[in-house]
Amino acid sequence: MSEWNEIVDYFRGRSMWMLHYCTGCGAIELPPTMTSRWDMERFGITPMATPRQADILLITGYLAIKTLKRVVYTYEQMQAPKWVLGFGSCTINGGIYWDSYNVIERLDKYIPVDIYIAGCMPRPEAILDAFVKLKEMVQKGEAKGYEKYVKNYEWYKANQDRVLKRTEPVLKRIEKVTKIG
Amino acid sequence: MSPLVALLIVPITGSAVAAIIQKYRIAERLVAFLTFSITFLFLLAIKSGDLFTWNLGFLGKNVEMGLQITPLSLFMLYITIAFGIVLTFYNLSEKSKMKSFLLLLTMAASNWIFMSNDMISFFFAWELMSWTSILMIFGGRREEEARHGALYYAMMSIGGSYSMLIGIFLLYNLTGTFSIQSNISYLMSLLATNPWWVLGIVSLFFAAFMVKSGIFPFHTWVPYTYGEAPDGFVPYLSSVMSKYGVYGFLIFLPLTLGAHVPSVLGLAWPNYVLLWFGSVTAVVGSVLAFMQDDVKKLFAYSSFGNLGFILAAIALFTPIGLTAGLFHAFNHLLFNGAIFITVIAVISKVGTTRMSEMGGLWQKMPLTFLTFFIGIAAAAGIPPFAGFGSKWMIFQAMISHGLIFATVLLFFASIASFLYLMRAFHAIFLGQLSHRYDNVKEVSSIGKITEGFLLAALVFFGIFPGFVLDPINSIVSSFGLKPLPTSGYEYINGFFSSVNMVSIFVVVIVAFIFGFLLFAVVAKHKKVSQDDNYTAGQIPQDWNLTPEMYQFSYDFYEPMDKEIAPFLKVKIDGFFKGFGQSVDYIGRAIKEIFTGNVQMYTYLTIGGLIVFIIAGWVVW
Amino acid sequence: MVIEFLIKLVQGIGIGALALATGLLFGGIARKIMARIQRRYGPPFTQNFIDLFKLFSKSSVSHGWAFDLGLVAGFAPMLAALMFLPIGSFTLLPSDSSLIMIIYLMMMAYLGMAMGVLASGNPNSAIGMSRALMLMAGYEVPFAAVIFSVYLFSKTGYLTQIVAMQSGGFMNWNMVKMPLGFLAVEIALQGMLGEKPFDQAIAPAEIASGPMVELGGKYLGFGMIQHSVGLFLETGIVVDLFLGGAPNFWIFIAKQFVLYFIVVLVDAILPRLRVHEATSFFWKLPLFLGILQALIVIIQGGVINV
Repeated sequence: MSEWNEIVDYFRGRSMWMLHYCTGCGAIELPPTMTSRWDMERFGITPMATPRQADILLITGYLAIKTLKRVVYTYEQMQAPKWVLGFGSCTINGGIYWDSYNVIERLDKYIPVDIYIAGCMPRPEAILDAFVKLKEMVQKGEAKGYEKYVKNYEWYKANQDRVLKRTEPVLKRIEKVTKIG
Repeated sequence: MSPLVALLIVPITGSAVAAIIQKYRIAERLVAFLTFSITFLFLLAIKSGDLFTWNLGFLGKNVEMGLQITPLSLFMLYITIAFGIVLTFYNLSEKSKMKSFLLLLTMAASNWIFMSNDMISFFFAWELMSWTSILMIFGGRREEEARHGALYYAMMSIGGSYSMLIGIFLLYNLTGTFSIQSNISYLMSLLATNPWWVLGIVSLFFAAFMVKSGIFPFHTWVPYTYGEAPDGFVPYLSSVMSKYGVYGFLIFLPLTLGAHVPSVLGLAWPNYVLLWFGSVTAVVGSVLAFMQDDVKKLFAYSSFGNLGFILAAIALFTPIGLTAGLFHAFNHLLFNGAIFITVIAVISKVGTTRMSEMGGLWQKMPLTFLTFFIGIAAAAGIPPFAGFGSKWMIFQAMISHGLIFATVLLFFASIASFLYLMRAFHAIFLGQLSHRYDNVKEVSSIGKITEGFLLAALVFFGIFPGFVLDPINSIVSSFGLKPLPTSGYEYINGFFSSVNMVSIFVVVIVAFIFGFLLFAVVAKHKKVSQDDNYTAGQIPQDWNLTPEMYQFSYDFYEPMDKEIAPFLKVKIDGFFKGFGQSVDYIGRAIKEIFTGNVQMYTYLTIGGLIVFIIAGWVVW
Repeated sequence: MVIEFLIKLVQGIGIGALALATGLLFGGIARKIMARIQRRYGPPFTQNFIDLFKLFSKSSVSHGWAFDLGLVAGFAPMLAALMFLPIGSFTLLPSDSSLIMIIYLMMMAYLGMAMGVLASGNPNSAIGMSRALMLMAGYEVPFAAVIFSVYLFSKTGYLTQIVAMQSGGFMNWNMVKMPLGFLAVEIALQGMLGEKPFDQAIAPAEIASGPMVELGGKYLGFGMIQHSVGLFLETGIVVDLFLGGAPNFWIFIAKQFVLYFIVVLVDAILPRLRVHEATSFFWKLPLFLGILQALIVIIQGGVINV
């Protein structure tokens, strides 16, 4: 059975579909990574439209608390096996927003991050480097962040709740605001 | 008592009984069901060629009246009464304001239409059928609209009936007999010398049939009437009653005009014109259908759209055209019945006919959903269900004549039918289930049996079309045409190619088994609710997202509106409305005359006298 | 009888596997071609096989039995339709290779797919489906006009016989005899395969990949099978109709590839149209070509006297 898993892991590493969650300035680094200059498709990595289809969640830039809520929701909609890439120093330590009142500092307190890409900005080479590294990890069966999330769900949930309770809607009667027609 | 008479007596007796006990809904419905079943038993004793005549003394003249069974009428009787049994069985559990005694009277009229051998009883039965169905429509769900629908239907029917009545008396004047056969043979003998006369008389009849079938440009009443008729009656209205027109057309179509009038592409031009009426009806019905939001109206448009297919096919009057048309008439009865019965089941559960207010009902009504699914698959002409064979034969019949434009139009109508069927399917059964319908339940066991039966019939007649094609072949030969070759119950023999439905069925089943095996073998899945859905990262609760807001079904084909808008400017409906208004004005003007003033009457009388004298003087 | 059935079954599975492999390979090559046009290196041409394998090994979410049934019904009829297609000189069930039947079986696959994706309850998939259907109302009409001319020209509806009539060299191909019809079908093929400028249904950046929005794992894998087999079927039908079929499998897929290559090249250079523009486009030039072709065939004496 382990041989079979090795085969599966080998092919998983060769075909990773990416959902990019671009909130900050880092999004601008992705087009060159996808297009002819660096061409990430040669590693079998293609951008995808929805979390259901994706294997990698690439999070660029800072995460405000409200954004984090969406990221967690998106992450939970993705199906195992799934991996998270934290892109740029904002996801590692808050970057230039380190002292902001509504930006989180470390992403992996809330969802398990498999690889961080350091830098402000990381260049496309760095992104590709991360992809190759992730591929190696997947093929060796080391990238198991999603299992860590299931195992330590209470810890992650507590961390999330601690900050997310600050996102309660400010407007009292939301149905009035969002009512359509 | 001859079984032919029993076919009239039994429903009328049943109707009387049902009228007496109409306060007790269950008993009344039971009487309807039993009457249909007993009539069917009598029908089993009837063979093609049976005859029953009697004489009616009228104004000193002896009018011979009769009932006769031709292969066509036998076929029609079988399919309509069998469908009636299914419908009345379903209606046992149905709660709309349908009056069973009217339905039974309609059945009596229907049997009489199919059997009558003389034009007087044909006309009488035709009127009986019209008036009982009009009365029935008054009992619709929404009173005001139902009255409007019934009156619209009544006006159109009366127009058609007058036209037919004029035709009947013209013929009587010429031949001195009411018998349909002798009149037809008289018309045939007249053909060689006076084809235009024949054409004129026949078109008087055709107008009535076109009104009844809802053929363009007389289609406008159909959506109003079907949309407002009581739920329990709509399936009968659309599956059975639209076929009277087809039967009528087939009485007169054997008048082969080909040798006597100019022809187009080897087709006599009256037939060609009729074919175009059919094709245009198909397109108009299908295109208007996919812009509807009311589900009954949508399928009303769909219904006369399919009648367009049938008319186009039988207008060719070739063996394959006739076979295709009759086959489609049967298939339409079947799949339209299945669709309408499931639709009224849904309407009775959700209490609305607007499709944009439904959605997601597959979770609540699985069998209804499946029956509807197979029904629309058949309506879209997908093998191996009933509906594929006939549509495919219609195309072959058209192609073999080289009728390029009409064929392309029909094909377009067929694709458009795919569009509106999918739209209805999505809006009713798929998508998000509103919380309003959390307590909706599957239909009762009677409904389940009916739906299961219809589902089985759709599959069975899809796989074994021969059971329908055999009687159709005998009809075709009774018209003096050479029927298509038969080679077993599972074959459809077309003009260009023949298809073995069983082999298709087996291949599809094997493919499905393979598909499910693959589905079971590969990685596991997890069931999630409809709320756990892709929302572009937004959390539904934060935005107060309700299932109704997350359902896209209103104005489903909005981008298409722009493309077909120019064609919608032509409003046939508006023409009839304008006509109605001008009749109204004239009526008011005439009413003005009768003021009650004696002097006015005197002047009028004198004026009339003068005109009369002058006219007499000029004429003589 | 049973032995015969089993032989057919094994052959059928073989055909299905071959068609799937061919379709996936074509998809992979198309990605490579596209990359080269954009001056990229591109993924390996086996990438689609790897993707399919990965999808089948990935877990997924289901929205209930209608979702499951729909997705299975989305590719099973495609496989069934394949059994009637003359592939090279081989047809599994030659007596039933009626063209319209194959086309309607493919429609059943679309119906099934539509049922599955719409059962997910996502409005994006509904928008995508509505676009796909509207587009279908476009490309099927010229396609029907051309089928019409082929029927009249060959006086048969069996694909096997249509292929047989074109034997004996390039000049006998329907492509040469009916150039306008071929052109119309070539344009319609672009729409059938959903390649640009007719990819409104699965506009990823616009409606989140439309019908596929809720599909993941094996469901997306089924979608991929449907697309690959559909690619094989649609190009295969055109090869049989216009390019004279083929004496063996390899020449058959070579011809298919030529057709697909054109589609990919057009796909690479054109942007996406709006859906009603696309639909009305099909009702203009391709339909005109198709009807002109049919008229030519009729004038040449195609009408069959019944």
